[in-house]
Amino acid sequence: MAFMQISEPGQSPEPHQRKLAVGIDLGTTNSLVAAFRNGSLQTLSDAQGQALLPSVVHYGENGEVVVGAAAQSQAAADPHNTLASVKRLMGRSFTDIQAGEMLSTYELLDCGSDMVKLQTRAGDLSPVQVSAEILRVLAERAQESLGGELQGAVITVPAYFDDGQRQATKDAAKLAGLNVLRLLNEPTAAAVAYGLDEQDEGAIAVFDLGGGTFDISVLQMSKGVFEVLSTGGDSALGGDDFDQAVAAWFVSQSTVSGLDASERRQLLDACRAAKERLSAEESAEIVLGDTRLSLSREQFNALVDPMIDRAIRACKRALRDAKLANDDILNVVMVGGSTRVPRVRERVAQWFGREPLVSLDPDKVVALGAASQAEQLVGNRSGEETLLLDVIPLSLGVETMGGLTEKVIHRNTTIPVAMAQEFTTFKDGQTAMAIHVVQGERELVEDCRSLASFELQGIPPMVAGAARIRVTFQVDADGLLQVSAREETTGAESQVQVKPSYGLSDGDIADMLTSSFEAAGEDKQARALREQQVEAEALLQSLSAALLADGEALLSDEEQRELLAKMEQLHKEKESGSAASIARQIEIVGAASETFAERRMDASIKQALAGRRVDEL
Amino acid sequence: MADNSRQQDHFSLLGVERSFELDERALTLSYRALQRSAHPDRFAGDDERQRRLAVQKSAQINEAYETLRSPTRRAAYLLELAGQAVDTSATTFRDPEFLMQQMQLREELAELHDAADPEQALDAFYRDVDSALTSQRQAFQQNFDAGDFDAAKDGYAKLQFLEKLRYEAEQKEGELLDF
Repeated sequence: MAFMQISEPGQSPEPHQRKLAVGIDLGTTNSLVAAFRNGSLQTLSDAQGQALLPSVVHYGENGEVVVGAAAQSQAAADPHNTLASVKRLMGRSFTDIQAGEMLSTYELLDCGSDMVKLQTRAGDLSPVQVSAEILRVLAERAQESLGGELQGAVITVPAYFDDGQRQATKDAAKLAGLNVLRLLNEPTAAAVAYGLDEQDEGAIAVFDLGGGTFDISVLQMSKGVFEVLSTGGDSALGGDDFDQAVAAWFVSQSTVSGLDASERRQLLDACRAAKERLSAEESAEIVLGDTRLSLSREQFNALVDPMIDRAIRACKRALRDAKLANDDILNVVMVGGSTRVPRVRERVAQWFGREPLVSLDPDKVVALGAASQAEQLVGNRSGEETLLLDVIPLSLGVETMGGLTEKVIHRNTTIPVAMAQEFTTFKDGQTAMAIHVVQGERELVEDCRSLASFELQGIPPMVAGAARIRVTFQVDADGLLQVSAREETTGAESQVQVKPSYGLSDGDIADMLTSSFEAAGEDKQARALREQQVEAEALLQSLSAALLADGEALLSDEEQRELLAKMEQLHKEKESGSAASIARQIEIVGAASETFAERRMDASIKQALAGRRVDEL
Repeated sequence: MADNSRQQDHFSLLGVERSFELDERALTLSYRALQRSAHPDRFAGDDERQRRLAVQKSAQINEAYETLRSPTRRAAYLLELAGQAVDTSATTFRDPEFLMQQMQLREELAELHDAADPEQALDAFYRDVDSALTSQRQAFQQNFDAGDFDAAKDGYAKLQFLEKLRYEAEQKEGELLDF
């Protein structure tokens, strides 16, 4: 077809060429990247054959940034510039962390209600920037081993992550130059990796005890549709706490005191090694300086039991939320390195009354599932597709009079979701109104997490109570919130862009990107032009594919001609225009395709219901 | 053709008959079929406009499903469609039998704390509330089908009272069962 000639010959991808997509598990302790390669899903290893990349970043004296095992080896010698477990700081303020945090070996900077920063010799860094370093290394690894540019990535997050934490994760990916296809809940990814989506019906519990977070999720699967029924957990419970408990025991049993940062790190490393040995042996020795203590497995079990109790209590709650009993669960999937601890497996088997699934490496299972989903989202897999319906983990609400929360979207509601709530003015002639959005289950605003505050201005002056301000909350499939507000009586619209309290503004991201390009010696304008060209190309490709599939059926000849003419123009701009002129034409083509997009959606929906009735006959 | 979908009610969106009595299995099946066709994941490779549209449509399908799946919310929605929206804050009951039942259930809820086996007492309480809900749902259906909207509205308010009791019990569960 003539109108398809919108890609450069030779640059145009073959219709059936595989697109490169990866799944990334950005973990507290270790991170991994996985992809579909040589006919199967597999994790991708570095040159040394290691799949696990320790989530540690070291900022060196000469400005060099090292990630992974090499960074980890600096931990004892240079603790202040070796950043580990940064995931715990994502989207968190200083006070959030102080509330229940472990011994941290690096210095945190109190930024008030904004996200905390880390003080290093490379300057004050946001956890987003540090995480981006980890993601960049994984992306490079994937591009080298797959031999091409990545089309996109699915990045996993704990199901328990709130809006601020999810936003921070997505920002980190953006900073690392990744196109995020979807933020996927870790437990859902794990169930996909076990192929449980291919079974017919049943409830699944995913028990995920990682280095720093514990998640329990109850999923209902039915003919390829995964519904998350409930999620729960504890964002400050993990294998690191086992190490901490052993370290605390060591200190209490010896005369050791007043440890400095590097000694503390040494002790924690020794405790971690002892914990790992105890998975196979009955006792293990811990040595620090001249002090040498032996820890039996029985003693170790007693030390970690209180933490496993906390995990089991969260399981109970999640099952109650899902309105299920222990024996409704058909499969228990084990995820996270800490599920290797025999005591954990034992107690989980005991509580659920069945042996948990442990055949896949609990460190890799999440990345494998994410890669499977990435394959599907990028369009490499045809036929029966798995649909993952997630829920929002924490309720969203607004502050009302007296510092109380009014919930607008309840937790465990399936996403995407859009809800509108009406508010009114309480003073005559009031023209502005402050709206404070919070996330959490508690009644008092101060006990919930503050997500965003904004002021709605330009309300026409009216008597108190007459204005009708409609605030719409929309949560997308990634669990990310957008809020907009509108005054309804006069039709005066005031759309509000919300700056999240914990996330970064687009300006922040732009600044960080600029500085990283400058470091890479890239010209800013050339970069802007290239970005617009890439965007134009992506728009032309997706629209061409859509037109090829549905153009004849859904558009009149006239409508097709009009749209194609505008696409031709965009193609020309892409070849010879400026960044600004391409951006303008992208907007024009986008607007012209609006009707087509709506008709495609409607047609797709009609077909879905029609197909079902045929099946039932 | 794009426009009439905006005014589509939840029943026709989900392709089920507009009535209180509803085949839950059929509802769930068509919900899943719809989400398969409208979920943003289906449009991961499309341009931003198409993806935004998918988020909106998918949210609309979720809302329709959540509304119809819950009998109490379904009752409210049917009344609203019939132009009989209810303001429950103004409801007063003149049904001594229902008031008596409410008092008994409230007492039962308050006494859960002192029960020898709180889990068992809680289960018994849920059974009582659920059986009351079942009979109120039947009453609602009869009244609504007969076009007796005043009685239907009264029935809906009763459903809400019972749901509220259930919710309060769920809130108490945590402390009762030592979560």
